[in-house]
Amino acid sequence: MPKVQIIDPSQVRKPGFVEFQPIPVNQYQKSVAEEKENFTHEEFKAIYHDMVLIREFETMLNLIKIKGEYNGTSYNHPGPAHLSIGQESAAVGMAWTLTVDDFIFGSHRSHGEILAKGMSAIHKLDDGQLTTIMETFFDGTVYEIVKKDFNGPVKELAKRFLVYGTLAEIFARKTGFNRGLGGSMHAFFTPFGVYPNNAIVGGSGDIAVGAALYKKVNRKPGLVVANIGDASLACGPVWEGISFAAMDQFRELWEGEMQGGLPVIINIMNNQYGMGGQTAGETMGYGIAARIGAGVNADQMHAERVDGYNPLAVIDAYKRKRKVIEEKRGPVLLDVLTYRYSGHSPSDASSYRTKEEVEAWEAQDCIRSYGEQLQEAEVATPADLDNISDEIRKLVNEMFLLAINEEVSPRMDNADIIGEMMFSNGSVDSFSDEKPDVLMPMDENSRVKKIAGKERFAFDAEGKPFSKMKQYQLRDGIFEAIIDRFYKDASLIAYGEENRDWGGAFAVYGGLTEALPYHRLFNSPISEASIVGTAIGYAMCGGRVIPEIMYCDFIGRAGDEIFNQLPKWQAMSGNVLKMPVVVRVSVGSKYGAQHSQDWTSLVAHIPGIKVCFPVTPYDAKGLMNAALQGTDPVIFFESQRIYDIGEQFHKGGVPEGYYEIPLGDPDVKKEGSDITFLTVGHTLYPALKAAKELEERFSMSAEVIDARSLVPFNYEKVIASVKKTGKIIVAGDATTRGSFLNDLAASIGQLAFDYLDAPVCVLGSRNWVTPAHELEEFFFPQPGWFIDMIHERIQPLRDYIPGQNFTDGEMVKRAKKGI
Amino acid sequence: MAVVVIMPKQGQSVESCIITTLHKKKGDIVKKGDVLFSYETDKASFEEESPADGTVLACFYGEGDEVPVLENMMIIGEPGEDITPLLTVGQEAASGSHPDETGNGVTPPDIQTVEPAAETSTATIASTHNDKTLQGASVQAGSPENRFISPRAKILAEKNAVSVAQLTGTGPGGRIIEKDVEAYLVNRPKMTPLAKKVAAEGGAQPAAPGTGLAGRSRAVDLSAPVNTIYGVDYEDKKISNMRRLIAKSMYASLQNSAQLTHHLGADARRILDLRKKAKAALESGKLAVNITLNDMVCFAVIKALKKFPEVNAHFLGDSKRYFHKVHLGLAVDTERGLMVPVLLNADDLSIAGLCGQLKEIATACRAGSVNPDILAAEAGTFTVSNLGNYGVEMFTPVINLPQSAILGVNTIVPRPKDLGDRVYAFVPYIGLSLTYDHRSLDGGEATRFLKQIATEIENLELDVLI
Repeated sequence: MPKVQIIDPSQVRKPGFVEFQPIPVNQYQKSVAEEKENFTHEEFKAIYHDMVLIREFETMLNLIKIKGEYNGTSYNHPGPAHLSIGQESAAVGMAWTLTVDDFIFGSHRSHGEILAKGMSAIHKLDDGQLTTIMETFFDGTVYEIVKKDFNGPVKELAKRFLVYGTLAEIFARKTGFNRGLGGSMHAFFTPFGVYPNNAIVGGSGDIAVGAALYKKVNRKPGLVVANIGDASLACGPVWEGISFAAMDQFRELWEGEMQGGLPVIINIMNNQYGMGGQTAGETMGYGIAARIGAGVNADQMHAERVDGYNPLAVIDAYKRKRKVIEEKRGPVLLDVLTYRYSGHSPSDASSYRTKEEVEAWEAQDCIRSYGEQLQEAEVATPADLDNISDEIRKLVNEMFLLAINEEVSPRMDNADIIGEMMFSNGSVDSFSDEKPDVLMPMDENSRVKKIAGKERFAFDAEGKPFSKMKQYQLRDGIFEAIIDRFYKDASLIAYGEENRDWGGAFAVYGGLTEALPYHRLFNSPISEASIVGTAIGYAMCGGRVIPEIMYCDFIGRAGDEIFNQLPKWQAMSGNVLKMPVVVRVSVGSKYGAQHSQDWTSLVAHIPGIKVCFPVTPYDAKGLMNAALQGTDPVIFFESQRIYDIGEQFHKGGVPEGYYEIPLGDPDVKKEGSDITFLTVGHTLYPALKAAKELEERFSMSAEVIDARSLVPFNYEKVIASVKKTGKIIVAGDATTRGSFLNDLAASIGQLAFDYLDAPVCVLGSRNWVTPAHELEEFFFPQPGWFIDMIHERIQPLRDYIPGQNFTDGEMVKRAKKGI
Repeated sequence: MAVVVIMPKQGQSVESCIITTLHKKKGDIVKKGDVLFSYETDKASFEEESPADGTVLACFYGEGDEVPVLENMMIIGEPGEDITPLLTVGQEAASGSHPDETGNGVTPPDIQTVEPAAETSTATIASTHNDKTLQGASVQAGSPENRFISPRAKILAEKNAVSVAQLTGTGPGGRIIEKDVEAYLVNRPKMTPLAKKVAAEGGAQPAAPGTGLAGRSRAVDLSAPVNTIYGVDYEDKKISNMRRLIAKSMYASLQNSAQLTHHLGADARRILDLRKKAKAALESGKLAVNITLNDMVCFAVIKALKKFPEVNAHFLGDSKRYFHKVHLGLAVDTERGLMVPVLLNADDLSIAGLCGQLKEIATACRAGSVNPDILAAEAGTFTVSNLGNYGVEMFTPVINLPQSAILGVNTIVPRPKDLGDRVYAFVPYIGLSLTYDHRSLDGGEATRFLKQIATEIENLELDVLI
């Protein structure tokens, strides 16, 4: 909603037509002979070499999967192997012109792309650079293995390095490129510009866009290629990624050198099948995949179909598209037509296609036809080509034997290391050496000035609360931590729905718009998958980012990104990647069933993400500082009910300076001796009210502990409290069934069993849809519910008549009914 | 054909009996009418005779066992007879009606056992049980045999050498929680660390302030007190079922109500005079019964109760039950312990009738043949406890809850009295001690009632003696 853009009714209501330009289909038809002036003989042969390398590599895996042996050596590989036999020209053509600074992202079927891009990098890097990369990667572990008993040139050594590292990774060896934690579908090697391949169809569709965003915002050279299959084109996140990449604001609103499109090429590796579903003719409606570019933006994404069976056609396309990217006219869409002879996976019986179809494509095999062109053009003799094949077979066999050698390539001997890899637990002030782009000195900012006049503790000397307007609020705590980091870390960006101009839907970002240029704070489309997905790509490349989910309930819209991508990549990369992403998630109320859910439990369930939920200004600032200083993904929950709450606990108020509260450390908000309340999120406040009533009416003293974080979580304070009180209620706003509260309760029950005077009780919301605001008191835990639960399940209270039914019978009855 | 002897149901409030003596054991030959076993209920003892000639083929319980009523006890038949079908029935009945297993002590209504003496149906038992609950009597859901205790309370009890059996659980479902152990510890004498250790090992609990500093119990207080001349000069005896019940109800009475006692004297000249006349009438054959002072006091009390319905009532927590009739309890000292039989509809009786019936129930109590139903505290509306015979001048009787009050009758002592015209004389006064539940009655009312008894005594008219 930028004010500079006027939506003029007399303009937009005019009649007219949307016009399209023709989309080129297989327009390039040249052969080796016709391209002789653009390539040296060595280059022509290298293209052939790279394709044969991929073919042999995939053939080896195919034989192992189907026959259990390769060249007479038997081996069992129980894991996946999605092979791309037949697609070699498309992979090599894509990678051929890419520089080491250009990044590729891939799919589950990307062995060929790893080898093609790896070889492309080896061709371009000099011996010194290659040696440095090999020597430093995992302290030279892989290098030592492939160097042993080898005296050839560095580039040959690098080739061994590439093949071995990839294969050892596929075989889950700890000497693999990702210590065996990624495997066939996730292997990658960033020093050669190979970024994560993704086992979720279309997974790279938004992540790669985030990588391009990183390159643009941080002024890094190179472009980004998202290799996705044709069958991913119906996936929501792919469309969201494409839509994000094509946002008008890059050209219309971003200023100066930042103006212009994202450097990203959506490269459809179109092998024409999605597992067994035929895209053109059966599961999609586009006919030719390049057509979809026409619907995205006025440039039609510069879309075209390229004959991926001719490596030269793909190379030609990439040469032309690089110019488009350099002119800042991205994004680009390429539909690279190809075909796989191998099945989707070894269990594929090819029941969905005819033998004749496969044979017809084999008759035009990309490697053989290119080899014939080389001979016709007198670039290579049959003997040259045989020589290339022989050497590759020898190399692949040798690396195969090394990769399955248990002594040379052992598996992880202590799998507990995986646990250590879930988080990088770093402490990094800034991910950039650059000076942060800001529009004004921080102390001149209107919001900063406004906050300076506020009371940083909620009560005056006599204990009387200041007016809400005067109190330093929770939203101010979050703001202070974030603006501080914006002025420290040039790589930090933030985006989401209504983040700019509006100042965030809940006024957390008020004042940031004036302080930051567009490329550091902007509005995203209303598409959560792209918001989180692009942030993942941004962080993977080395930037810090705060994506925002406006309502917790929208987490489902970014399900794959939050559950499958964000938490996995640090460990799956073997700790090569860091993931400094702080996802701000606002938990709503008042707006009914799809806007009032506390889904902390869902994310806490997934290994690999940190989860916190501060509910006081002091905690919010301290935890946001810690989250932003860290190197791990954090889901940072905020409650809409208390954005305006003042600091009621931290004596002296919220410090003006920088401080961190470590994630995982619960905090005793009120001391007591007879019962403990452990709360998650906003429920702290009802719990405090309950504690007051307990004291006044029943002379019971409650200790109230705010969990503050869910993952990690330090039980020590809680156990110490339970040892003192013997009784505990774990409470939060999440619906009770399957809630993380039960997790806390189960652990406390085990850790403090001998000290318990009553079973650990869980107080969550009812297992219903969230009703309207007027009925919320029947749904969310109320102060009285704590006392009801104490009376019924912990210690009957004299002359007390409970309002809620917490009896055994009711528990069983509700469970029976599933409510 | 073999017959099953079951544990009879003596009165509708009895749920189980304790076998005191087995007179016949398995294999013994018995004749019809032979005593098979003796047993006792809460307050009375009984003997069960053999219903037939034969041999004892099976005996299901031993001496000291608590047997639920209507449960199979013995089988009498001919040696070699197949008693399997009877056993099966017996087992079913046993598993179905065992109070520990059903959890509420109520015999399920579908158990039909033939027993002519058991005149009430099981449905009535159930309703009796429910009535108890409604009356607000302290109901513990967890039976003493199956009590639960929280881990924390258990550890605290162990640490302080508290025997869990002594605790009353107040947690959900009667679970013993930390609070219950703490409450117990507050009342227990302080113990030295060694005493605690000894208690933990031996299970002995300090009963009274010990010999240590500030009454602290020392280990020696817990260990067996050894007489230096005679060695161990005591023996520990298990208390009888009856003793246990008396202990429980007396303790519960003082724990659960607000009792206080007013003392007042009544001029006894009138009743002493009447007593003289009664004695003469008995001797002369004019009267068949020996009307005692106690009979006269009871007669006066009944008259007073008719004028004070507030006193002739049960206090039930959130309600009061006012009785139209007077059911008078009379404390009777027996060899087995204190018994309080109730004279139902006592206000219907003349002085002679009252006299005769009071004697009858007192004798039945001492003989152990009293109907247990009239021993229940709920059966009476007011109780008289007379210690005058023993020379007691003043005492504080304990109320039989849920009754609202109890009258203690003391000995007669001469007291100076102003007879008018500055003439003072020693006049015999009978002491009256009224303990009342302040929850049910206020002091003014209690005093007026007590005064009314005195007035009735001082102005007693007995038709039979005119």
